[in-house]
Amino acid sequence: MIHYVKLAYRNLGRHRRRSILSGLALALGTALLLFIAAFFEGEMRSAMETTIRLNTGHLQLQDADYDPDKLSVAWEYLIEKPEQVAAQIQTLDAVAVAAPRLIANGIVSAGDEAVGVQIIGIAPESKANDPYRDGLVEGQFLTAEDRDGILIGYPLANSLGLKPGDRLSLLVNTANGSVDEQVFTVRGIFSTGTTAYDKGVVFLSLAKAQVFSGAGDRASLIFILLNDREQAEAVAAAIRTPAYQVKTWRQMNELLVLVNDFSNAYLAVINLIVLGVTATVIVNTLLMSVFERTREIGILAAIGMKRRQIIALFLTEAALLALGGVAFGGALGWALSAYFGEVGFYFGDLGMSAQMLMQDRIYTVLTLEAAINLILTAFVITLLAALYPARMAARMEPVEALRGK
Amino acid sequence: MIVYLRLAWRNVWRQRRRTLLIAIAMGIIMTLLVFYDGLLGGFEQAIYNNAIQLLGGNIQAHALGYNAKAARKPLLPIHNPNRVIKAAESHPDVIVASQRIVTGGMVTNREGAFAVSIIGIEPEKEALITPVAKTIIQGRYLQPEDGDAIVIGKGLAIAMNVDVGDRLTVVSNARNTQTRQRTMTVIGIYDVGVPSVEKTMIYLSLAAAQRLFRLEGQATEVIISLRRIGQEPTVIRALSQDLPEYELSSWEDSFPELKETMELKTSVMVMIGVFMLGIASIGIFNSLMMAVFERTREIGILGALGLRPFEISLIFLFEGVLIGLIGASLGAILGTLLNAFFAYYGMDYSAFTTLTEYTALISGRIYTQLVPHKIMQHALTVAIISALAALYPAIEASRREPAQALHYV
Repeated sequence: MIHYVKLAYRNLGRHRRRSILSGLALALGTALLLFIAAFFEGEMRSAMETTIRLNTGHLQLQDADYDPDKLSVAWEYLIEKPEQVAAQIQTLDAVAVAAPRLIANGIVSAGDEAVGVQIIGIAPESKANDPYRDGLVEGQFLTAEDRDGILIGYPLANSLGLKPGDRLSLLVNTANGSVDEQVFTVRGIFSTGTTAYDKGVVFLSLAKAQVFSGAGDRASLIFILLNDREQAEAVAAAIRTPAYQVKTWRQMNELLVLVNDFSNAYLAVINLIVLGVTATVIVNTLLMSVFERTREIGILAAIGMKRRQIIALFLTEAALLALGGVAFGGALGWALSAYFGEVGFYFGDLGMSAQMLMQDRIYTVLTLEAAINLILTAFVITLLAALYPARMAARMEPVEALRGK
Repeated sequence: MIVYLRLAWRNVWRQRRRTLLIAIAMGIIMTLLVFYDGLLGGFEQAIYNNAIQLLGGNIQAHALGYNAKAARKPLLPIHNPNRVIKAAESHPDVIVASQRIVTGGMVTNREGAFAVSIIGIEPEKEALITPVAKTIIQGRYLQPEDGDAIVIGKGLAIAMNVDVGDRLTVVSNARNTQTRQRTMTVIGIYDVGVPSVEKTMIYLSLAAAQRLFRLEGQATEVIISLRRIGQEPTVIRALSQDLPEYELSSWEDSFPELKETMELKTSVMVMIGVFMLGIASIGIFNSLMMAVFERTREIGILGALGLRPFEISLIFLFEGVLIGLIGASLGAILGTLLNAFFAYYGMDYSAFTTLTEYTALISGRIYTQLVPHKIMQHALTVAIISALAALYPAIEASRREPAQALHYV
């Protein structure tokens, strides 16, 4: 066996330029496959992470009858004494942070423009609000006592022409089914880097939102972040009671799962095309080299090499080539993914809906599983591609092969 | 000159096996590249086309001065909309052009108030293109003679707790900031799978909107739907000559965020395509170079017969171009056939996924596009690479002493 490897290695070395070019084609193919996988993975992860962090959390505790599509603040749909409930959940080990939020439909108007928004009452000091606090571009964050301040997103501020200190009028749908309108002062402007989200929400302090919407000491939900998102189901089971429903990030992000599935299908087709191009290149190069080496094969056969052995020799050559190409390609793909994993691709406002949020920048993520799968696939495809040329070589008649035609 | 071309042509067919092998490989590779581009175009249409139609067509025509105040959706009537419609519909790339009244407003009922875009449409015309007509889940779509009837999205229906037959109050400002209010009946509910859109777009018939806003016989915009995304610039150019007194904007101007998403997404896909072209180039270069080095002896003979290195290189250059052209035409034909097949029958995704139904905005079936300009580009690339790949070893071999080249094994 080691014999074949030595022979094959020498054969490859004898045509160094050709071997290097074939290896390079294979390497580029492998690198491309890895990079595509890393890009799509990064895109989906970023979407899921962003949606969880900004919008859904890992878990949400809601009243058993609460309907997130309605965002009703009628008392029967709300959680009573939310601060206490949140504090209780916070004591669990798996929970990183739990904070009450009150969410209502509203309309912001400034000048003669009006825009529909979600009004979110937050407990300003909670760590759950870090993404908004860290994303503050102008002005200040809310405080728990703030009775007049409102926090708005950068795109909204931009389209309405608002700066911190400006006043806007906010209309809210209240607990008893009527509407109330009040004037607020823009306290701060935030940007989470996710335009689709930033243009559709405004923040008030929880206490103010409760008074404004007539909800009293109640909240729509407890927003929960965990230390490990895989524990979502276990924690959900622990805090569920007949009075409450607990939704996990998986349940709340069904649309995202759907889109993920769609892009995986898309990915499969593209992978096939890349593999097809690479395989064609390999088959062609190997075939050409078999024809070129007809005389050499004739000599091998004439000195008694069996067909099986000739096939084995050519396959070993292909395997060495594949090994080199795939290894180099793997390294290249990993380096590319690592680079763009740091720097990211700028992408503008992705995602048209608030159900699927994306950062405006995509960072590639190469998972070990994907890397191993793709590298193995590239290797196996190369060997399969080599099978036909190798058999072609073995089928030659020694005498005719010696004559070179 | 013609002599060298003839020589090259004979050489190409003397080595029939080699020529076929390389040309077929080139053909297959080019087919795959062309198919990739066709697929890309198909994805683009599948993902963005419905969204564009839903947001308001490929091209919008407004009265002059509209764009300055576009954010406010002013009720600025467009002069003689029928002229725009006639001009647009005579263009071959236009599917349909129809007039609309679009403005912002609110709908209210006992559940509260919600900010929406109020859109008065010509139902029978828009039915051809809008996803709204195809995704009515309750009640029915609008008809031209509908009076105080509206079609709303599922998201809004849930939030406002209404069903078909329930009544809502529509509030908006007519011209001169005069508030108009009218109670209307929900006759249909659509579901495009994107709650944020469903919550903010309500539709009524153009006639009803004209009455509501006191714009009898008028409209605020004409929307123009095209066969394909990407035809906007040509159509706008053609139309703006006939219609100087209108502001024509494409969806790219009206919804810049959608355009940005699409462009950047596409640029990554194009990058992948370029990468693949690189792989293909290496492959083609390699095979052709092998084929020429194999013939070092032949080059020696040509040298011994008195051809100068330049002339020998010329023959091989022609050979490379000829083989490249054969391969490229093969690829162009096969690629176009493949694209045409999937453009007609569509590619079902179910083989790659467990889900076949996506939201109404993303269809699960992809129809590939014919991509003539891409084919030309690829054909040219293949021919050039092939010429270079033949030239390089030929120059090297032709510089050798003929006697030495003759001894090359």
